[in-house]
Amino acid sequence: MKKFKGLLLISAIFFLLGGCDKDFIELNTNPYAVTDLDPALLFAGAQRSHLGGWETEHTIVQHFVNPFNSGATLGPNFNADIDNFNNGKWDGSYPNIIKNLVQALSLLEGSDRVNLRSMLRIWKAQVYMGLVDTHADIPYSNAGQAFLKGSEYFYPSYDDDAAIYADLEKELKEAIAALNPSGDFVSADLFYGANGSAKTTTATAQVDKWKKLGNSLLLRLGMRYSKLDANKAKTIVTEAFNGGVMKSNDDNAWVKYDGTLFTNGANGGLVNNNPYFYYAAEPLVEQLKTTADPRGPFIVATYANPSNPLADPAPVTDLASQFGVPVGVINTDLTKPAYRGAKGGGYNYSQMNVGVVASLTAPDFWVTYPEVSLLLAEAAQRGWIAGGEAAAKQYYEDGIKADIKRYALYPKSSTISDADIATFLASPGVAYNAADALKLINTQLWIAYIRNGTQAWANFRRSGFPALSPNKFNNLLNGGFIRRLSYPDYELAQNRTNYQNAVKAIGGTDNLTTRVFWDKE
Amino acid sequence: MMRLNKLVVLVLAIFCCHLTVIAQQVTGKVTADDGTPLIGVNISVKETNTGTISESDGTFQIAAAPGNTLVFSYIGFAAYEIKLGNEKNVDVILKEDAQSLTEVVVTALGVQRESKKLGYSVTAVNTDQLTQNRTTNVMESLEGRVAGLNITPPAAGAGSSMQIRLRGQAAFAGANNAPLIVINGLPIDQGARGVNGLGTPRDLGDNLSNVNPDDIESMTVLKGATAAAIYGARAANGAIIITTKSGRKNQGIGVEYSSNYSTQQPLNFFDFQTEYGQGTAGKRPTSGANAATTGHFAWGERLDGAPTPIFDGTLQPYSANPDNLFGFLQTGTDFTNTIAMSGGGANGSFRASFSNTDAEGITPNNEYNRKIANVGINHNISKKLKLQLNINYTNEQQVNPPQIGTQGPGAVNFFTRLATSIPLSALKNSAVAANGTETLTSGFQGTLLNPYYALAVGQRYETERNRFLSTATLRYDLTDWLYVQGRYNYDFALSFTESHDPGGIGTSVPTNADGTFKGAYNLSESKGTDVNADFLVGGGKEFGKFSVDANVGGNTWRVKNNGFNQGSTNFIVRDLYSIGNGSVRSQSYGFSQYRVNSLYGWAELGYNNLLYLNFTGRQDWFSVLNPEDNSELYQSVSGSFIFSELMKNQKWLSYGKLRASWAEVGSSNGVNPYDGLLTYGISQNQFQGQTTASISGNSAPNRFLRPFSVEEKEIGIEMRMFGNRVTLDVSAFDKITTDQVLDVQLSNTSGYNSSKENLGSLKNSGLEFLFEVKPIQTQNFSWTSSWNHAFLATKVLSVGAPSEIIVLNWGATGNEFIGQLRYVEGLPMNQVYARTYLKNEEGQILLTDQGRLIPSADYVSFGSSIPKHTGGWNNTFTYKNLSLAVHFDYKLGGVVISSTALNANRQGHSKQSLVGRREGEKGLYSWVFTDRMSSPIPLRLIQPHFMRIIGTIKWAIS
Repeated sequence: MKKFKGLLLISAIFFLLGGCDKDFIELNTNPYAVTDLDPALLFAGAQRSHLGGWETEHTIVQHFVNPFNSGATLGPNFNADIDNFNNGKWDGSYPNIIKNLVQALSLLEGSDRVNLRSMLRIWKAQVYMGLVDTHADIPYSNAGQAFLKGSEYFYPSYDDDAAIYADLEKELKEAIAALNPSGDFVSADLFYGANGSAKTTTATAQVDKWKKLGNSLLLRLGMRYSKLDANKAKTIVTEAFNGGVMKSNDDNAWVKYDGTLFTNGANGGLVNNNPYFYYAAEPLVEQLKTTADPRGPFIVATYANPSNPLADPAPVTDLASQFGVPVGVINTDLTKPAYRGAKGGGYNYSQMNVGVVASLTAPDFWVTYPEVSLLLAEAAQRGWIAGGEAAAKQYYEDGIKADIKRYALYPKSSTISDADIATFLASPGVAYNAADALKLINTQLWIAYIRNGTQAWANFRRSGFPALSPNKFNNLLNGGFIRRLSYPDYELAQNRTNYQNAVKAIGGTDNLTTRVFWDKE
Repeated sequence: MMRLNKLVVLVLAIFCCHLTVIAQQVTGKVTADDGTPLIGVNISVKETNTGTISESDGTFQIAAAPGNTLVFSYIGFAAYEIKLGNEKNVDVILKEDAQSLTEVVVTALGVQRESKKLGYSVTAVNTDQLTQNRTTNVMESLEGRVAGLNITPPAAGAGSSMQIRLRGQAAFAGANNAPLIVINGLPIDQGARGVNGLGTPRDLGDNLSNVNPDDIESMTVLKGATAAAIYGARAANGAIIITTKSGRKNQGIGVEYSSNYSTQQPLNFFDFQTEYGQGTAGKRPTSGANAATTGHFAWGERLDGAPTPIFDGTLQPYSANPDNLFGFLQTGTDFTNTIAMSGGGANGSFRASFSNTDAEGITPNNEYNRKIANVGINHNISKKLKLQLNINYTNEQQVNPPQIGTQGPGAVNFFTRLATSIPLSALKNSAVAANGTETLTSGFQGTLLNPYYALAVGQRYETERNRFLSTATLRYDLTDWLYVQGRYNYDFALSFTESHDPGGIGTSVPTNADGTFKGAYNLSESKGTDVNADFLVGGGKEFGKFSVDANVGGNTWRVKNNGFNQGSTNFIVRDLYSIGNGSVRSQSYGFSQYRVNSLYGWAELGYNNLLYLNFTGRQDWFSVLNPEDNSELYQSVSGSFIFSELMKNQKWLSYGKLRASWAEVGSSNGVNPYDGLLTYGISQNQFQGQTTASISGNSAPNRFLRPFSVEEKEIGIEMRMFGNRVTLDVSAFDKITTDQVLDVQLSNTSGYNSSKENLGSLKNSGLEFLFEVKPIQTQNFSWTSSWNHAFLATKVLSVGAPSEIIVLNWGATGNEFIGQLRYVEGLPMNQVYARTYLKNEEGQILLTDQGRLIPSADYVSFGSSIPKHTGGWNNTFTYKNLSLAVHFDYKLGGVVISSTALNANRQGHSKQSLVGRREGEKGLYSWVFTDRMSSPIPLRLIQPHFMRIIGTIKWAIS
């Protein structure tokens, strides 16, 4: 009996002593979860940022067409303002890339890994530049910090697009300046790290590559001001050029996909979901055909059955057999007499070459030497950098040549001989002439930017080239082009006040025709 | 969704035999002093503790020996004792006595209290009802029985879960809103493994299926926060206290056996058109290939019986097959057998039972088996030391629980969305294509899955759960007015799930791009332990007209869960279910633990059986919360006033009580372990040979969460009148929840899509009443009629900065399945939002050039989904030994979006879709559904559509 009484007494005392919150902190930490990590791994996980998509940016610049205008496929192909296609970059940046870059930067506080920090800053600037180019004003200074700073940062305010650009310029310059050849080597870097696509093994070599990458981004940023403020453009471009931009394809910032564990996500949509929806656009095919572009067979092809291009053992790639779908035409009209009619499960038109540019193993390029060289051609032509027309011609031809050579990195492509390249460079519509310089340079950028829709679209808006005809479907855009993508609809629900203020700040309407600050009419 | 209704419950046989030594049979009759026979009077033999109750004519029969004392007790009447001589017939007249209305209820922590002393609303459930209107899940039979208790029964048949709400919903979604279930002092969550329209398609039941209705001795519903204040956080939504049987002292050994068989038939509430057949744009299919992609559209021609191609390429009469769904479904059965043995001696008692339930669902291949073993032991170790043990073990096996929910791959969804001109026989016979994949039947390959295909290729989902609930209580009486009690509860659950997903489902291609076969195999095992240990010191003493009762105690609640998951896809050998057969495999391990420690106490002061005052206090510490602010104090004050004590000269009033209470409770509900912890995920595969990582999940961990609180006020009155033939019980309450931890949607520019924040507040207020009359009470026939009703008003007070929160969102990307559930400040909870038809300023509906409807750009509210009125009307007619119970229950005033109706309209199956198709009618609906602009059709179906009528016929041989 005493034993039982003792038991009760002991349990009572146990409660009185232990009945608070002893060990609760330890108890509320999951022993099986990863709670501490090298920020370099977060950086590596965030390097593959959004590059634009076939059905949005490439459709706006008339590389690509989905002629189906019903349900979930309705979008920029018919000038429609639809979340489904507007939100790609937004959703592909903020809740993953930016979140991880911001977290990695916070983990580096107090650390001496100056090179990793600089890379994170440069890459964050690259991501935000794409967001501004797509949407104008966006959340910037308060974005990506819901965990770090708590509930006051749950609904970030929007920053002015021009102000963000100014800060990105500052970020790029500071980060480039902080890169230190005798500092840390960031082995995890997917571009130039130990397992990078253009690998280096020392901090010195890696820092050299990142300086070039940073200055190339600064060049891109400077060129954006060409319409708005030529003096400012000149200043920034000069600074970038003097700082040292990319010099060859070995400097490219790119990654490769093995096709098994990792595939090219943007191309996955083309190959896996109803391929008969997707075609090359007429303006692209015509450009490739009329100039007999040696890259043409890598870019477009016709297939026995558009429903299953992958299954075709022998796609037709000669340019004479290629026909692009006209822009702004509904699929059901394609069977009418004026058009080429049905074929297999789809229509008798060229599709993107699913063996090369649209392959699941196609590499992704963020910043390339060909882009840099073509931008420098324009800068030289405008007199912003030294050399005049001669230099402009040289940059122009170097850029095209390097871009053709770049295709060696794609699957199922063959090397184009220097002789063929020389023929191409001399051919009408390609050969450099001062009078048409801006048109020629930016038309070649338009081709070099295939698979980088964000840049293809931004550069088209900036330069006005190539001279495309607007998609006049239903005259929804009053005969113009899509100049901006609307904010996601859910921002109105979830971030109402800030959203409404932003719409006011960009001129009162959240639509496809409002312009980004540098896109002066 | 379709509901299963129980048509008839046949209780085949209930018989008991008591193996006690019988001296002789004493018979007699019990009447009131006005001569009316009294039914259900408890009659026991004091010496042996054997007992019986009087029949409907007041007669009784009991075994007693000369010299024994018979004790008669009956609520509302003074107890009566008579010492037997040699007589074999004893007639007794009982006298009414208001004083004796000492109904005893089991309240918080298992303490038995006289109901008159309680200042809050408590309903003791008549346990006969549980075995009368018999259901596989014990809670279902309570539907419409208790005012303010809203039970939404399962849509998926035997073994599925229930939604249980007491007095509305104290908290927004994200928290557990079901009341706490306490089985023999062991608190468990209802733990619904239910379905929701957006995700989980299979309903895997809840924890109440661990209880066998035959084992229940008493069940008490504690509605208010006061009742729950003592259980702390987990009972913020009230509590349901269940005590299982453990035998009675001095009763000898008894064996009970009961066997139940019931059937379920689906009822057809669908009212589909049978005038038009498969097709689009007013044309029937022209070929088998054409038919195979349009089976879901009934926008064809008027049915004429002419041979017309169907999906399998055969020609079939173009005529209606209205019974396809019900041809596929079958009659469900439920067969339960329980055997129990009980006994009791001078120092204790025991009861052990075993029950087996075999059920077959209304969908073929759906089986449910449950075995429950239950043991209850009471033992007086000494005069002062008592031990009580309760052990309950359940084994449940569920095979192929039906898939239900929005747009899901279930059988009901398939048949209700297929054109009526497709015959069932073809769906069955042509289910499997030549290459072994599912034959294409409609344009929604992958969504509309032919259930005959699943049957043919052996799709299988099987889950087995074992649960062990145990309680040991040791009580020591220090003096005759002071006791100490210690209790240990151990709850262990182990479940195992296996699923076979054949590769041919929803596809025409059996292989993947890499040449392996489609299909998936999954195994998962999860384990949970839940320990509760508490102590209590309590006592009571009377001082003249005053009485005092006080208790103090403490509790620790420790939970640990873990589980493994192993999946395998990309089969090397087709449809071979083995982990090793998959070339792509996935594994995961989940773990969580948390703890709540508490100290509490309560006191009751009484004056002259007239006035009672109760005070409670409790402090909880939560491991899941911010260490800086992790505890909450709950308190309550309640009082009762037995005004009938002052009105003894009023003969019509047997009993009258006024009660009032105020309580403040809180909860960490909605906060899970590690909610404040940021974790990282390492990419499963290296990219270009490089390891990469990212932050796990899209929810921003919030490290600053606090407990939330619920404040409730309640007043009530309870009266029994006219010789207990009229009973009235009314309560009014007002419940305000503040600082609830809500799942908030963030702007994704914050880096995260969601987080949790202390910002929700809402108000529930309502009125509940119970009115019971016995209009007829004669020797052979009686009729008892009881009506309970609850009115509930909810209002969202705050949901943070955006002033409204979208809780659920269908079709966010602009597709046709459009609807949202929102919390909007100032409006009742759960506002159903949808787009409506675009109208001009005069309110006319606008159409496009093609005659199609145009959706409004904005979503508009269609009202709250929460029913304002719930209730039930129970009638029991007793004629001699036969009784007939008729039970109605209802829920009124809630709005639902019916996905079934939406699809039936847009695909041309409903009668509404006929409008505009027939000659001379102006079109309201388009004939072809190809354009997203014509899609959204929010439908307003009001809950009375689902009012259910249940008739129960019962007879018993005893």
